[in-house]
Amino acid sequence: MRNGTAVAAAFLIPLTVLAATLAERDAAFIGKRRTFWSYVKPVAAPVPAGAKNPVDAFLLEALAAKKLTFSPVADKHTLVRRVTLDLTGLPPKPEEVDAFVNDKSPNAYEKLVDRLMASKHYGERWGLRWLDVVRYADTNGFELDAERTHAWRYRDYVIDSFNANKKYDRFLQEQIAGDELWPGNNEALIATGFLRAGPEHVVGGNVDEEQNRQEVLTEMTTITGSALLGMTLQCARCHNHKFDPIPQSDHYRLQAVFASTEGKEIAYVSEADRKAYEEAKKAYDAKIKVFDDAVKKIDAPYKKQIMDERRKKLDPEHLAALEIPKDKRTKEQQVLAKEAEDQITPLWDEVVALLPADEKAKRYAIRKERHAVEYTEPMHPGMAYAVANMEKTPDTHILKIGDHKMKLDVVPAGLPQVLVDPAANFPQTAVGRRTSLAQWLTSKENPLTARVMVNRIWQFRFGTGLVGTPNDFGALGARPTNQKLLDWLAVEFMDKGWDIRHIDRMLVLSNAYRQATSRDAAKAAIDPDNKLYWRMNKRRLEGEAIRDSVLAASGALNTKMYGPGVRVPIEKEVYDLIFTEHETDNLWPLPLDKTEMSRRSVYLLNKRTVRLPMLANFDQPDTMSSCAMRSTSTHALQALNLMNSGFMQEQSKRMAERLERDCKGKRGCEIEQAYRLSLGRKPSTEETRMALQFLSGDNVLSDFTLALFNRNEFVYVP
Amino acid sequence: MSLNRRNVLRAAANGFGAVALEAMLQKANAAPPAAAARVNPMAAKPQHFPAKAKSVIFLFMVGAPGQMDTFDPKPELVKHAGKPLPASYGKIVSQFTQGDTPILPSPWEFKQYGQSGLPVSSLYPNLARHVDDICFVRNFYTESTIHAPAMYQVQSGRILMGYPSLGSWVTYGLGSESENLPAYVVMPQPEGTPEGGTPMWGSGFLPAVHQGTTLRSGPSPVLNLDLPPGMTPARQRRTLDLLQKMNELDTEASDLEMAARISSYELAFRMQTHAPEAVDLMKESEATRKMYGLDQKHTAEFGSRCLLARRLVERGTRFVQIFSGGGPVSIQWDAHKDLKGNHEKMCGMTDQPIAALLQDLKSRGLLDSTLVIWGSEFGRLPMSQSGNGRDHNPHGFTMWFAGGGVKGGQAIGATDDFGLYCAGGKYHMRDFHATILHALGLDQHKLWYLHNGRHEKLTDFGGNVIREVFA
Repeated sequence: MRNGTAVAAAFLIPLTVLAATLAERDAAFIGKRRTFWSYVKPVAAPVPAGAKNPVDAFLLEALAAKKLTFSPVADKHTLVRRVTLDLTGLPPKPEEVDAFVNDKSPNAYEKLVDRLMASKHYGERWGLRWLDVVRYADTNGFELDAERTHAWRYRDYVIDSFNANKKYDRFLQEQIAGDELWPGNNEALIATGFLRAGPEHVVGGNVDEEQNRQEVLTEMTTITGSALLGMTLQCARCHNHKFDPIPQSDHYRLQAVFASTEGKEIAYVSEADRKAYEEAKKAYDAKIKVFDDAVKKIDAPYKKQIMDERRKKLDPEHLAALEIPKDKRTKEQQVLAKEAEDQITPLWDEVVALLPADEKAKRYAIRKERHAVEYTEPMHPGMAYAVANMEKTPDTHILKIGDHKMKLDVVPAGLPQVLVDPAANFPQTAVGRRTSLAQWLTSKENPLTARVMVNRIWQFRFGTGLVGTPNDFGALGARPTNQKLLDWLAVEFMDKGWDIRHIDRMLVLSNAYRQATSRDAAKAAIDPDNKLYWRMNKRRLEGEAIRDSVLAASGALNTKMYGPGVRVPIEKEVYDLIFTEHETDNLWPLPLDKTEMSRRSVYLLNKRTVRLPMLANFDQPDTMSSCAMRSTSTHALQALNLMNSGFMQEQSKRMAERLERDCKGKRGCEIEQAYRLSLGRKPSTEETRMALQFLSGDNVLSDFTLALFNRNEFVYVP
Repeated sequence: MSLNRRNVLRAAANGFGAVALEAMLQKANAAPPAAAARVNPMAAKPQHFPAKAKSVIFLFMVGAPGQMDTFDPKPELVKHAGKPLPASYGKIVSQFTQGDTPILPSPWEFKQYGQSGLPVSSLYPNLARHVDDICFVRNFYTESTIHAPAMYQVQSGRILMGYPSLGSWVTYGLGSESENLPAYVVMPQPEGTPEGGTPMWGSGFLPAVHQGTTLRSGPSPVLNLDLPPGMTPARQRRTLDLLQKMNELDTEASDLEMAARISSYELAFRMQTHAPEAVDLMKESEATRKMYGLDQKHTAEFGSRCLLARRLVERGTRFVQIFSGGGPVSIQWDAHKDLKGNHEKMCGMTDQPIAALLQDLKSRGLLDSTLVIWGSEFGRLPMSQSGNGRDHNPHGFTMWFAGGGVKGGQAIGATDDFGLYCAGGKYHMRDFHATILHALGLDQHKLWYLHNGRHEKLTDFGGNVIREVFA
């Protein structure tokens, strides 16, 4: 159903049926603010003369106005390390450095960039970035924080999309409405996992379903605003936006686009595969039941003992009810008997506490065996963590202060009024609302989508955005430091078919990107925050990239792609933080194949309530809201982790062994190779001297490799 | 003043986990404001206005004690024992019950204590002696009958996870007074974490440096603080020296971010030396240890954490959060059945230690500058569950404050005759937070952080400071 609007045409509701007062109020609220810079379609200004790359041309023009100019080009070692870390998230291998440094051809750098962009690691690198923006995680969050068994297919979809250079318009359409636009296309179905990437409260008992549904819809609305439009629609949930021309009704009009959308796990496998899976699962469940029955059998006499004792202590009324045979109880007695059962039934730990040592040992041996068998649980051959349209579309109300108990006017599905003609039609059928949203988002008439994405690409490569607040292009957001450049890039992006790699390549090939990071007091006096890009910004690597770099240097890195989230060892202190009211053995099953633990960080299980200290300490976002830009905090817990953690100790030793093997015990070779593997360059004479002196005492080679991993130069993109 | 390594290190001696360069930067005037903020998140910052409290100890009872069983007597329940709630209440839906179960009077007697004559149930014989230092607020409410969302609301003001926690906001506002210890320390129940999990002390969108640091007693109080197996202090010091020398080679004088990294390693090294001392309870006199109940099986564990809290506050830690309860249901206050057994066990573990904490802080002159808070995510219903337990009641429940400028010996607010709803006024968690910030000299409206286009505040659009709390 490529054209949702055509099908929906019969059901179109003109917006004039809205209470005139609300429409008028909204119009008055928006007033003349339609002309705010980001709501006006970008126009490409002519590229200034004087530079081959338009990026440089625009930047130099702005620099010249302040009597500034670019810094010198960084040296080749710096350049190859910078662009390799940037495009792949991994340090360059020594032979890759040599190849580039020794390549004297005029297009050596272009060739390097093209090689890196063709690498599968390019999509992994971009994947991590995009997953930050959509606040992807593998679990629901909240107390149970259950694993979303099939969510990882969305993560793989994102990586594949960047590797295939999927055009951004198609990429967004798939994520917003892949199920409607390309029915039967598995990839497009998996893409809708975007709408479910956020946290969701899933718990038992008498939960307020309507409140939960509101939160789900709010997540969809908010992420569309901040991730795709740079609009802070969440600020208009409770009242008209305090700073932007977004009336409260806009929040709910956009929410109404998702009114018929519900999260759903959707299988996309052949009948034969489904059957095979179901049979395997049945066999597996039967195997597990054997263990559970055995445990129950051990527990039974002790459970009975507690129940018998407690039974004696029941008050006469409850005891009497319990003693009446089940089928002879009156309604009242049924209630009392149920209460009596609740009172006498022990918790698991109360039973375990009574077990004699040998029974306890037997019990845990059985559980251990069970856990071993759990590794054989069959994986579903094809299940998308996706969305579908419900048959009915509930009305969407504006909610007073965002409270679902205080419903105000019903609003139709629609788009932010400041960006469209409020009188324009929008489909009101269950199916097709998201299609229309997706088409509007990726239309060239949309003033924001392209700007927001080119700004993200820019921020990714330069450390700061041309708009310093990548999720907020509104009044409180930063103004572009160079709007001409931003707009030119946005128009170019759209004109070249929403080609992400085209823009990305243009940025990393620019002279601006190739500048040295050196400081300059005179220039800093004019532009202290480097808003005009008179030098390159030094940027700290993400925790994920630090971990990946360590694995690459030690030689342990496993470059296998895809699949369910991988668990890596965690300290007992972290394990203890996993919430459960049940038994605590096997809450964090590690992969049987140890090399899995050396996979790239983008494939690690991202659990919302249990963060890996190494990543969390380095400002890994908490995946609760869209992360526009990671913060860079510096504190002692990072130092403790990078010096003392089991992972760092293991990897520094592993690297030392690698050096000893490769250099056959020759110190000079070991030192040189350690520098080349970790920092992509040879040590200076002074550095060699310091290393030799260090290693002449009782410090061992792994102390030296550990020091290198901790070095500023190692954790920063030069 | 030049920004060489020695100066950086000297200036950095102010605040664990972060690097304090503010004073030096003001003199040197060397860095752009953005960079200055980035390297210096944890320097001690002045209060917005003078106030007594400098630090906070928040005792969180996980799973919810019953207000009518502890600090808010409801004699009316005895009259209605076994009868249904009056029809005028309508249907009271909690997490597991529908409000149709009979009224359950409190199994405990209340007596009046102190000069103030405030009532406390027989569950708290020790704490009862301190009522003249305590201000009870009996009309707080939260907005979920489910543990985790209500916990998030107590901790962050919202029923959603992912917002910065109270302790994060406080350290964001006031920085750290401690040289060698985390500014925001969290001590969960050893048996397990509360329902809300780590987001309860997360920093949300605030920088990671403001997240709570979990701390345990014993030789390894903080994660990765221990030397790795086989490593000696001397070898690690030399490794650190090599690292620092290498870092100096490529650190430009004006590069504060790199300088900050250099000093973060010195701070980490110092903490390895100092933190084990801070948590060494053997340094305390036997009388003190006894007072906290360290000599008795049922009080030793919680008593240790209360004593640790005092040692930390004494050493400049800004915010200490202790959780009583977590993990298995048998070690939570969540008395859906056997209210009597549950509350007697949980109070038995905590009564003496909390009383000792108040007394100890007072005798050391620390109570004036330390705000002690006791509370939970909600209270419990007056009706029964399973015949002898109670389901959750977020509509009206008690929390209390002591120290830090609080006027003790008073009870503010009330619940109705059944202890179900607040009677008269009621206080939201926004008010709770506004009051705590006020005690610390922080203006809730000035304490904001720009996130995704919004000036985010702990109290969102603002709470009411409960002025009567203060002397």
